[in-house]
Amino acid sequence: MIEVNNLHKKFKDVTALEGLSFSAKDGEITGILGPNGAGKTTCLRTLYGLLKADQGSATIDGINVSEQPLIARGNLGIFPDKFGLYERLTAYEQIDYFASIHGLTGAKKKQAIEEVLQELEMEDLAHRKTVGFSQGQRMKVTLAQALVHKPKNFVLDEPTRGLDVMSTRILRNYLSKYKAKGHCILFSSHVMQEVAALCDRVIVVANGKLAAQGTPQELCDLAGEAQLEDAFVKIIGSDEGVAA
Amino acid sequence: MIQFNALFSKEIKEAIRDKRALMAAFTMAFLAPVMIFVMSKMAIKEAVETPPAYVNISGGEYAPALMKHLADDNVFPMSEVEDADKVMWEKRNIEVFIPADFEESLLAGTSINVVLRADYGEKAHQSIIRRVRDSVYSYSRQIGYQRIMMRGIDVKLLRPINLAEQDTQKPSSNATFISLMLSIYLLFGAFFSGLSVAIDTSAGERERNVLEILLCQPVSTMKVVLAKLFAATTIALIGVVLTLILSTIAVGFVDLSQLGLTFNLDMKTAISLLILLIPICFFASALQLFFAFNAKTFKEAQSLVSIIIMLPGMIPFALSMMNDRPQWLDWAPISGQYLIMEDLFKGDPVGFGVLLVTGAFTVLMTVILVKVMAERLKSEKVVLALS
Repeated sequence: MIEVNNLHKKFKDVTALEGLSFSAKDGEITGILGPNGAGKTTCLRTLYGLLKADQGSATIDGINVSEQPLIARGNLGIFPDKFGLYERLTAYEQIDYFASIHGLTGAKKKQAIEEVLQELEMEDLAHRKTVGFSQGQRMKVTLAQALVHKPKNFVLDEPTRGLDVMSTRILRNYLSKYKAKGHCILFSSHVMQEVAALCDRVIVVANGKLAAQGTPQELCDLAGEAQLEDAFVKIIGSDEGVAA
Repeated sequence: MIQFNALFSKEIKEAIRDKRALMAAFTMAFLAPVMIFVMSKMAIKEAVETPPAYVNISGGEYAPALMKHLADDNVFPMSEVEDADKVMWEKRNIEVFIPADFEESLLAGTSINVVLRADYGEKAHQSIIRRVRDSVYSYSRQIGYQRIMMRGIDVKLLRPINLAEQDTQKPSSNATFISLMLSIYLLFGAFFSGLSVAIDTSAGERERNVLEILLCQPVSTMKVVLAKLFAATTIALIGVVLTLILSTIAVGFVDLSQLGLTFNLDMKTAISLLILLIPICFFASALQLFFAFNAKTFKEAQSLVSIIIMLPGMIPFALSMMNDRPQWLDWAPISGQYLIMEDLFKGDPVGFGVLLVTGAFTVLMTVILVKVMAERLKSEKVVLALS
């Protein structure tokens, strides 16, 4: 369960967040939609505890991120915006590294790594150095390192960017499975079909504020459009009317 | 501890697997012994041998005895130079003028003015000038003594005072120029060996987009910084130990006894050196990490850190220029260690207390750097610089 309450954040003269509130429930996939510069990345970084909000709070499973960042992060799996790999390590070593950072040791750690490798069908990749991995393979390693400690909450920042259809499908299937196990998934994207197909609830962010929220269908109904894309444009296009 | 071990072993793995960078890091260790060997050889050659020197002598025909004396000292007129070396000696152009009335003045017992003209600033000229000068003086002294003896006067009268010079240098003292070089190389080794790891693990990781995800993990920035510091320091220390071992072996191949010098590194000195250099390795790596983390790009980090590795060259140089140095230089990092190393190599006793105080001061500065880095990694400025 991820909750964001009335977040405000200013960088010098630029207002990035202006009272953003939403929640992402367990057992649901929640999508964050917003134009570039709407404050999505700032919001997610606040959630990771990298940035401190000027006002408001973010909680993960009820733990305030700014007060207890290390404990909150322990319940969080992160698929970052720009992900890099340690190219001199093998995929296995990299996953092992993140598992250890989350405090896993010995047989328990080994088992957790084996499980995540199996679930993502990447056993054959495991002992290769990650240098030269394709975008899809990189996605798998990043996914595995984020989920090896089986976090209750999972945040993805534009995970499908640069992925081909096959990799996107793997990711989607994996997210659906994860959701079915009762985890809370929050993910930001620009791809409307993907959001429409995958998300139980959609949060539309514009100008650092919540512009609208609901199921994809509800958003379409709200905007009076058949396609989510049109609804999205309409919602963020005007501050009054539908969004109000 | 689980976290620290994971962080540290990952850093070491990455450092060791970057074979080319690792080889570059240890160049100092392999280069130092070679340099020490070559330079010692050259120094011995210069000090022991007196190769023939060719000088432009005009008026040589007026003083055949002086010419012979010079020739005995391996100084010859330009006419005898071999073709291969001719250009070099002509370029050096060291001139001696003997006046035409040399013989007459000698008979009359008046003073003769022989002129030696050369560019005294050139280093290559200096030993030749010294040899010509010594040769002429000794010839002159020889004639003087003969004259006095002929008059039945004891030559001892010319030397009312005999100065007996006694060198208090410890018998175990090492050849100064070798220990000087070695101290500087060791300090360089400490700064140079860990350099690539320090930059790669900070600015490099940021550029490869792996630093952000690490900062999002449930691990304190202090542990992150410490792991990176220990990794870079480990490599730096390996570099220093290698430099020390290889240099000692290399010195063994130089016959210093020709100069009446010795160089040996007993176990006690070696251990004292290590105790001395461990803190400096930590300090060097911390300083490099600090600047690399603060730099905006990998390139900027490289430029900044290259300035830092000049420190172990500049500080000893500045120290050697100072005759009265302020007390704090005895404790300050680099200068403190350099001064202690000087004493160690000279065979002067170095108290455990001095080692401790200098080390403690360096450690303190390292701790401050680490604290500042750990705090800075939490700051929004660093996070915003990630994208």
